[in-house]
Amino acid sequence: MLDSLFDDVKRMNKRQFIYQVLSFGMIVSSALMIWKGLMVVTGSESPIVVVLSGSMEPAFHRGDLLFLTNYPEEPVRVGEIVVFKVEGRDIPIVHRVLKLHEKNNGTVKFLTKGDNNSVDDRGLYAQGQLWLTKKDVVGRARGFLPYVGMVTIYMNEYPKFKFAVLACLAIYVLVHRE
Amino acid sequence: MTETSEVVKINKWDGAAAKNAIDDAIREVFTGDLKCKESFALIDGRLFLCALAVGVALYALLWDYLYPFPQSRLVLIICVSSYFILMGILTLYTTLKEKGIFVVAKEKVGNNTRIWEASSYVKKHDDKYNLVVVMRDAGGRSREASINKSFANFIDVNGAVVQSVVVTEITKLYNSLSSDKKEK
Repeated sequence: MLDSLFDDVKRMNKRQFIYQVLSFGMIVSSALMIWKGLMVVTGSESPIVVVLSGSMEPAFHRGDLLFLTNYPEEPVRVGEIVVFKVEGRDIPIVHRVLKLHEKNNGTVKFLTKGDNNSVDDRGLYAQGQLWLTKKDVVGRARGFLPYVGMVTIYMNEYPKFKFAVLACLAIYVLVHRE
Repeated sequence: MTETSEVVKINKWDGAAAKNAIDDAIREVFTGDLKCKESFALIDGRLFLCALAVGVALYALLWDYLYPFPQSRLVLIICVSSYFILMGILTLYTTLKEKGIFVVAKEKVGNNTRIWEASSYVKKHDDKYNLVVVMRDAGGRSREASINKSFANFIDVNGAVVQSVVVTEITKLYNSLSSDKKEK
């Protein structure tokens, strides 16, 4: 069975084999370039995120897919939903802006809170941090797709399953000719 | 990759696999039985375009890693746009220039070189293998002939390509194209 799986590969000549590897590379790089293109268009380092917690219910639920933009000329305002990073935490947080102070020179500092949380986010920030600034912001929510992100959540909860699926796809593409 | 021509066995119900196997057999006839020299310029061109595209993507990945996003913006714009332009060029190359040609063989006849190009296509859910062989001589004239036959003519019950049948068919095409030229 395994033998016949690799028959196609064994029969290839040097150029066909190189092409096979390159076309696999092009599938990966197309996805990568679409992602990087979205980064450039939206200005956000992570233009699509998945909501992981219920802290923003009823606005967003676990598994919602959020589309972000992060244009420097657009000011942050109270009531907007921002995605921000906190030092020492890998995963960005999606919460609403609660208080905001703006100086004449354009610098802002603001405080956030999850709609479904009873307290503001000071407890979540880094030790001693009281406010967020513009550099902490990953983007602002512009739209969402419900439930689609559940796939990503399941994949991350069962990493073995994720690697199995990815490995199967990779082998299929590499082994199957055209 | 080896020269020993063992019996190729494929799943004969898989149209793409059958086509590839017959293509390989025909290439072998041109380079082996007919003593032509295979020219790789066409496929090398495609490999170059693919490698360039993957290289551009890798470069963007590396640059974005070294200089995180807002800094790398300009490089990303250049890389992303050139990547998609390259994909467009690649599509044009395969549809307009390659057109399914799987072997280009050069043959020396006296002082002249003749070029043989073989291309093939199979329609979806069809058992007909369409082969077009084009011969170009040194004068720039070209002549073509084609075969339109079912896979069943080239592949036996077990899914093995019958090399002798392929040799006969190609030799027939080869002779008809060569002799036509002499009549003129």
